[in-house]
Amino acid sequence: MAQHKDSRRNFLKSGGSVIGASWLAINMPLIVSAGQAAAEKKESAAAFDNLTIEESVELSALVNQIIPPDETPGASEIGVVYFIDVALGGFMSDSAPMLRQGLEEFQQQTKSAHPGTERFSELSFDQQTEMLKSIEDTPLFGMLHFMTLCGMFCLPSYGGNLEDAGWNLIGFDHRHAWQPPFGYYDAAVHSQVSAEGDEHEHV
Amino acid sequence: MSTSKPQPKFNTREEVDFVIIGSGAAGGVLARELSTNGFSVVVLEQGQYRTAADFKHDELKVIFNDELLNHPGWNDPQTFRRFETETAVQLQNSPPPAFYARGVGGSSVHFTANYWRFHQSDFMERSLLGPMEGTGFADWPISYEELEPYYSRVEWECGVSGQPGPFEAPRSKPYPLPPMPVKSSGVLFEKGARAIGLHPQPAPLAILSKPFNGRPACVNCGFCMGFGCEVNAKSSTLASMIPLAEATGRCEIRPLSTVFRIQTNEAGRVTEVVYLDSTGKEQAQKTKALILSANGAETPRLLFLSESSRSPDGLANSSGIVGKYLMGNGHSVTQASFEHQLNEYKGVQVTRIVHDFYENDPARGFYGGGGMDARPFLDSTPILHAMTGLPPGKPTWGPEFKQMLRHYFTRKMSILGSTTSVPLASNNITLDPSLKDDKGRPAIRMTYMDHADDLAMATFLQDRAVEILGAAGAAEIWREPVEGGIVQAHLLGTCRMGNDPATSVVDKYHRAHDVPNLFICDGSSFVSSGRGQPTMTIQALAFRAAEHISRFARIGEI
Repeated sequence: MAQHKDSRRNFLKSGGSVIGASWLAINMPLIVSAGQAAAEKKESAAAFDNLTIEESVELSALVNQIIPPDETPGASEIGVVYFIDVALGGFMSDSAPMLRQGLEEFQQQTKSAHPGTERFSELSFDQQTEMLKSIEDTPLFGMLHFMTLCGMFCLPSYGGNLEDAGWNLIGFDHRHAWQPPFGYYDAAVHSQVSAEGDEHEHV
Repeated sequence: MSTSKPQPKFNTREEVDFVIIGSGAAGGVLARELSTNGFSVVVLEQGQYRTAADFKHDELKVIFNDELLNHPGWNDPQTFRRFETETAVQLQNSPPPAFYARGVGGSSVHFTANYWRFHQSDFMERSLLGPMEGTGFADWPISYEELEPYYSRVEWECGVSGQPGPFEAPRSKPYPLPPMPVKSSGVLFEKGARAIGLHPQPAPLAILSKPFNGRPACVNCGFCMGFGCEVNAKSSTLASMIPLAEATGRCEIRPLSTVFRIQTNEAGRVTEVVYLDSTGKEQAQKTKALILSANGAETPRLLFLSESSRSPDGLANSSGIVGKYLMGNGHSVTQASFEHQLNEYKGVQVTRIVHDFYENDPARGFYGGGGMDARPFLDSTPILHAMTGLPPGKPTWGPEFKQMLRHYFTRKMSILGSTTSVPLASNNITLDPSLKDDKGRPAIRMTYMDHADDLAMATFLQDRAVEILGAAGAAEIWREPVEGGIVQAHLLGTCRMGNDPATSVVDKYHRAHDVPNLFICDGSSFVSSGRGQPTMTIQALAFRAAEHISRFARIGEI
């Protein structure tokens, strides 16, 4: 996880303002058109534009290791593979060769570790977890991890976060306006303020 | 918005009164003030002209694609090193080392809008405390009292919400707007701080708590830090100053205009500014005087790019200190989770601050001071939270990770400590000797390592943050490591102000000592760093500079 840790650190370092990141040095110049492409594809219910069916099956298993299904949907059902399909065709197209090569090497490792198995997706969930642990420090895993989190929590127009399922998982309610109270700890203060019918002195 | 306004179109080959390079916190104020005072003004802005309608709650695009930071369609890389003995490199997996927004309104568009006035001591610590060997520790040539009226102008004309705290310097006017509604992080911070004997106060923010000056109140949408405001409630110069400048009919904003040279004549005066326009075509705007407000990294870069036989080390650099004494403000981050939901993704970032440790205290054993605030920080948006917001040493994928995502997003807050930066000549902006941008301009090279006292102060504040969070009843508390800085969003001190041309770049009126019709006003003018929130002071300086520059122009002293 070295790469993840370094990135996390650099993120935090940006201190008082924020953070804009070329996370994992991924350049995303075409992100707008990607969003549009995803929206159009959802409407037409077409197959993947950039992934083969086989690739989509493997990616589905991989992203479900990162956010597995339990009583709520896993990453695949939340649309992460659709997000990756869109991203590889647009704003992450530069990364596509690296991802494909990494996946191919990973399948070879899987075959060696599990003779008689052709694909990662054929393994049991626990076997998949063990295989994935062996590549935790690789750029391939870093990219899959990054893309999974983006696909989980991005605007649904990018193809992931289907019907806000990613946001629902963590409790993020996407609205454009809020009124206090916002949370548990400020509720009492705001009910007191409204009872007094006035706000803080500001002079 | 930009196209619907009656903007003048000045002829590039006829002199305007002023060209301003940069439309950010300082440039936006200067554009409004000078055009209102009757002068013709051309503002050259390297970024796009976006408006509120262009800003979206799109974390992927804004945070991960650096939408507000980048030039559209071209690459302007930077290099970084900690010490001058090292070779600077482009950072991987990191935001750019000099972190600023490109676009009309500059970084005031994406900032978090903490608006702390400096204290009296910030302007005179060298006199109060004595020298610091091997540093550029110095007094400002102006006092708090001289700047105070302009702080009030920022509050009333840009729009600042707040309530005076127990430690702040005297003020001539109250805040125009009450503080923003307190969040759970503010309530917990206040409770914990009081429990350990501190004096928390509402945070002053350049965000409107009520409708003001024709702009609407904040709707608490939560997309402040790093994002542009969709309702114009954040008091960026894009929302507050630029529309007033344009309304005079004397100010032309030229977006996507990338300056690569300030042209001077044999008498050493600025004659025109050479830039690439939005189509990539070279243009040169003639001007009577130039105001450089490009930020603490771009401003010295442009001076270096404008070297000539008269000034071989860069324009306005006879002192040799252009680019030196870069100060960024040190930071420490302390994260915590609580039993119940805070829902920090709603509302502005900061609602409570502590200034008990603002002043230097010899008992601490090191120089410095700082402020603390409570905020969601990186937990205000979902992707950043998933990448940076969970406790260390726990799984980052799999069933337990998913369970943690469920639990933590709504239950997190952080305390950010912000500190002084000791001015050091070895912390600086220079031109990279080999790397260039797509237009052939040498890249910005940043050299920066915090002074040991800055790191000690950041750690001191983190120790207090742990105490505060404990007293507030946090379920878990964890520290992010305090280390020497890489990414600097506060770009200060690189063309410092002073009375002595040998040790400063501009005089107390922001006029370059070497170039009579060149004024430099932005974060680069700072002599000391303050305690972590510089934009309020940048804008007060800009209001003050505009008044003096207008006076000089009227009496022919430009």
